[in-house]
Amino acid sequence: MPMKPPPKLRPTAWDGLVVLCVAALALGTAFFQWRGGTSQALTAVVSVDGTEVDRFAPADLAASPRTYEHNGYTLEVALSIDYEHPASSVLPPSGKSGLCVVRSDCPTQDCVHTGTITESGQSIVCLPARFILCLEGGTPDPDGVDAVLG
Amino acid sequence: MRRFTAYVLLTFLFLSGCSAPADPDTAQESIQVIAMDTAMLITTYGEHSVTAAYAAEDRIRELESALSRTDPDSEVSRLNAAGGEAVEISGDLQTILSQSAQYSQETGGAFDITVAPAATAWGFTADRFQIPSQTELDRLLPLVDSSQVSIIPSLDSSGDGPKATARLGPGQSVDLGAIAKGYAADQLCKVFDANEIPRALADLGGNVLAWGDRPDGAPWRVGIQDPAHPDDKNALVGVLEIVDSFAVTSGSYQRYFEQDGKRYHHIIDPATGYPADSGLTSVTVVAGTGSGSGAMCDAYSTALFIMGEEKALDFWRSQLNGSLFSLVLVTEDGRVVVADKINRFAFAPNEDSGYAYETAS
Repeated sequence: MPMKPPPKLRPTAWDGLVVLCVAALALGTAFFQWRGGTSQALTAVVSVDGTEVDRFAPADLAASPRTYEHNGYTLEVALSIDYEHPASSVLPPSGKSGLCVVRSDCPTQDCVHTGTITESGQSIVCLPARFILCLEGGTPDPDGVDAVLG
Repeated sequence: MRRFTAYVLLTFLFLSGCSAPADPDTAQESIQVIAMDTAMLITTYGEHSVTAAYAAEDRIRELESALSRTDPDSEVSRLNAAGGEAVEISGDLQTILSQSAQYSQETGGAFDITVAPAATAWGFTADRFQIPSQTELDRLLPLVDSSQVSIIPSLDSSGDGPKATARLGPGQSVDLGAIAKGYAADQLCKVFDANEIPRALADLGGNVLAWGDRPDGAPWRVGIQDPAHPDDKNALVGVLEIVDSFAVTSGSYQRYFEQDGKRYHHIIDPATGYPADSGLTSVTVVAGTGSGSGAMCDAYSTALFIMGEEKALDFWRSQLNGSLFSLVLVTEDGRVVVADKINRFAFAPNEDSGYAYETAS
């Protein structure tokens, strides 16, 4: 008994739409991967005892500071602005805004004294709390530095 | 049409599946380590970057457990507590004690690991700061004498035989804080070499190892903190551009306390028992990984801070006619003195800092 030939399929407008969607997705993915696959936004990374516990954009702290507790100490990380009087920014002498530890109950207060960090690669350390706040990513500053001695 | 559609889809799926080729030269791993009383940031590049970064951390932890003065179980603590009796020591401690003796001799005693009792009297060991009485310092100063430290090296290179031993003078103790991180940088060189790391940057808290160059082929840019503005990370006296180099800074602003309006910093002069009053606020020593060592840079930065500008420059000139290492001195009277006879680095001054820049020869 002869088999019935399959019906001849003709592409429809829906097929075209699927092709366009797949193409857009493919190009988007390839572009993302070719450009390195990473976000260029400046990102704050918080680690305690060598383990990452938080990752955020500095602007996330525009509304309120963020508190961390570890090893018996409490630290408050904030944008370098006065939250009660935002118009009067507490900027470092360099004039750039950034992140700082505004309060800590650690004995050394080195984390508070570090002041404001603004560039990728800079960090604030609290040894008693075994806490490190580090800035990553961001647009590379041609005049920036990879490390600071001191 | 169906075949054409299939080709189009396959092409785009292929495109989406193509990730950037893993470049063994730019693959990187960054780790943060809290050890040796500081925070360390180590970034390694290359095919074995992950292995090397964690091997570096393991090596640092190993050194910390042996060399810490505050860990009662460390080798150094056992040596300090031995009351002048001989104590078996590891190869690491043997090497550091031998290097310390050499640097102490070379610097005329400005570098001295036996200054520990005086540093403790000021409270810098336990962060309980106080001003010791002159009577107490007079009692402690005879203990500050590195010539009383004796080392009997192991003659068995296999490690199976008797270990090396060390003995301190009665009442003495040692603090390796002015050399241990530099020695750790030397050990990281071995880790990076063993893992064929093409480039890396290790920031060991005031000690920087610039291994190779940056991924973009440029030298690593390492800033020198302005001692007048230690609370502003962006306040620099200048930027060093270095490759394959150690760079170490000692400064009076790094650790201090204030009492009755006067500041007392942590760099104790072995000759007086007091914080060094040399007219300098920071000393940066730079040496190549091929010709110098991290331990040498670490020890010299402390010693030269204690010596002061004139003696530090004389010492610099006396070491291979100024070619063994290079210097950047920051003075209390607002000058930055750069001593770099062989163009080991490019130095970009910060013209907005208010310092006057000079070149020593």
